[in-house]
Formats: sequence, structure tokens, C-alpha cells
Amino acid sequence: MTNIEKYTQAFVDAFNIDAETAKTLKFQQIPAWDSVGHMGLIAQFEDQFGIMMEPDDIVDLNSFEKGKEMLSSKYGIDFGA
Amino acid sequence: MLKGKNIFLTGADGGMGRAMTKAFAQAGANIWANVIRENEEYSVFAEALALEHGVWIKPMVFDLTDGAALKNAVMAIRAEKVPIDGLVNNAGILREGMLQMMPLADARLLFEVNFFAPFQLMQLVTRLMMRQPNGGAIVNMSSMAAFDGVEGETVYGATKAALASMSKSLAKELGRFKIRVNCIAPGVTETPLISGMSESVLNKDRESTYLRRLGKPEDVAKVAAFLLSDDAQYVTGQVIRVDGGRN
Repeated sequence: MTNIEKYTQAFVDAFNIDAETAKTLKFQQIPAWDSVGHMGLIAQFEDQFGIMMEPDDIVDLNSFEKGKEMLSSKYGIDFGA
Repeated sequence: MLKGKNIFLTGADGGMGRAMTKAFAQAGANIWANVIRENEEYSVFAEALALEHGVWIKPMVFDLTDGAALKNAVMAIRAEKVPIDGLVNNAGILREGMLQMMPLADARLLFEVNFFAPFQLMQLVTRLMMRQPNGGAIVNMSSMAAFDGVEGETVYGATKAALASMSKSLAKELGRFKIRVNCIAPGVTETPLISGMSESVLNKDRESTYLRRLGKPEDVAKVAAFLLSDDAQYVTGQVIRVDGGRN
């Protein structure tokens, strides 16, 4: 599984949604992505990529796109071109 | 009582920490034992206990006020792929002084070690506990100084009150993840922390308890072991005073 597939799957698993919905998702756009669901999503990232995110980043991660950009720039996750 | 459980204990080589190491090992727990610097004598003590009780005790050397080191320690534990069943925020420092004579730097250091270090450690450890089907248990070491007030311990007492308050809120926040958070507030206990107190002051403390004696580290360690155990599975958000009874 590529990193982008893993990343997308994290949303799918955390919120029980399909991959297409995940790609445009923003924080609190669906009931499942509340503050508790958010921690479940972070857990998925940390387990999938073997990282431990900083509290500030956990707060700032508020959309699919933002998370991808953050994991790439701050945690060195390569999502390809 | 703690058979097969894995406990993360801070300040493991202090007076209280050693008693906890012993009590937890006797109860069957494995221990990640944080110490601030290499301590050969503690390592020997821990090895002997581990051998005697068939558990592992791993000293982890890092300074709790070093955020990066703390994070690395938690990541190292996560890499072991075993659950963290319990966390005991036992490490703490005491700086006494009347209000006018307490340097601000000392006051800040007290909060750094006694409040912010447990805060950060709980931030990291609870993220792992939240993913565990059985959650986890946290015990924070507060003090009677937090609730009764002690002359010369204005800031120390404030740090311990802050820790107790944080514990109560966290118990509410984390209950849904089966994470229990409790506090112990010891009275005057015979540890190196009180080595600077005069015998007359200690006598006064002794006589002010219902039981007419000072606490022993083992008195506190046994309560911590209980709070970590499944015997306390319906106990959370509490501050348990272990002080021999006081008015």
C-alpha cells in the first residue's frame, strides 16, 4: 500500500466513510469527525506511519488536504508527486 | 494484583519511587522506571527485584523537563508493542521558602517538574492508552500541601493542587476511553524529601496525625498499586489522602 493509500485509508477506517468522501473532508463536516473522532484519526496516522504528532499539529490538522501537507512537511511522509 | 500489567513510573529511584518499584514488582507488574540520571545502585536494586518476582524492570534515563526526551521515551515504549496499562507521575521536587523569599525561577521550576512534566507525559501516554481495549490507569502524586496549606510551601502546594485539579478533569475527559485518573495526597512521609526538616517539626507532624506516626513510602506505594489494579476499576477522579488522618 502506498503512503497516500494508507493516509486515505486512515480516514476511511476512522470515520467509516468511502475514499472519495475522505478526499474533500474537513473537520466537523460529518458527525464522526468530532473531537473524539479526531483523536481516532490521529491514532490511525501514528500507527500507520510510526510517528508521534505534536499537540499543536493535532489541533491544526483540520482537513484531508491540511493533514497531507502537514505529514509531508513536518513528519517526512512521502506522498509522491 | 498487578500481574502482567506494564507500568510507567517516573522518579523511580527516589524514596517513594523505590517503594513503588518494590510494591509494583511484588504485585507482578513490569515497570518502565524513569530516572533522571544513571543510577547503578537503583539498577542493581531493580534487577534483584525483577529476578525475585519474575518481572522486568527497565530503567529509562531522561529528564522529565526535556520535552523531546520525554517524547522519545514514549515512542520507545510504543515500539515495544506492549500495552501501557498504568502511568504513575511520581517524580516531583520541593522548594520551600516564604513568599517574599521564593525566587521566581524556583517557582517556575516547581511548576515545570510537578505540573507541566506530568501534563506532557499524560498527553503522550493517554494517546496510546486510548487505543487499548482496556484503556489504562493513571496515578498522580499530589500532596496534603495542596489542600491544607503549608507555611513555606506556597508554590509547591499550588503545583500539587494544579495536578489534582487536572486529574479530576482528565478523569471526566478520559473515562469514555476506559482510562481512570486518580490522585494520591500523602501527608508527611519518611523520604529524603523531608531530610531537611528539624526533629521538632517532624514530632509536631507526627503528633498531629490520628495514628501518631509519619507515613512510610510503603503506605503510599500500596495505595498506588491498588489504584493501578483492576480492583479499583470503578474508582476514578478521586484524591485519596494517605496521611494517617489529619484535621
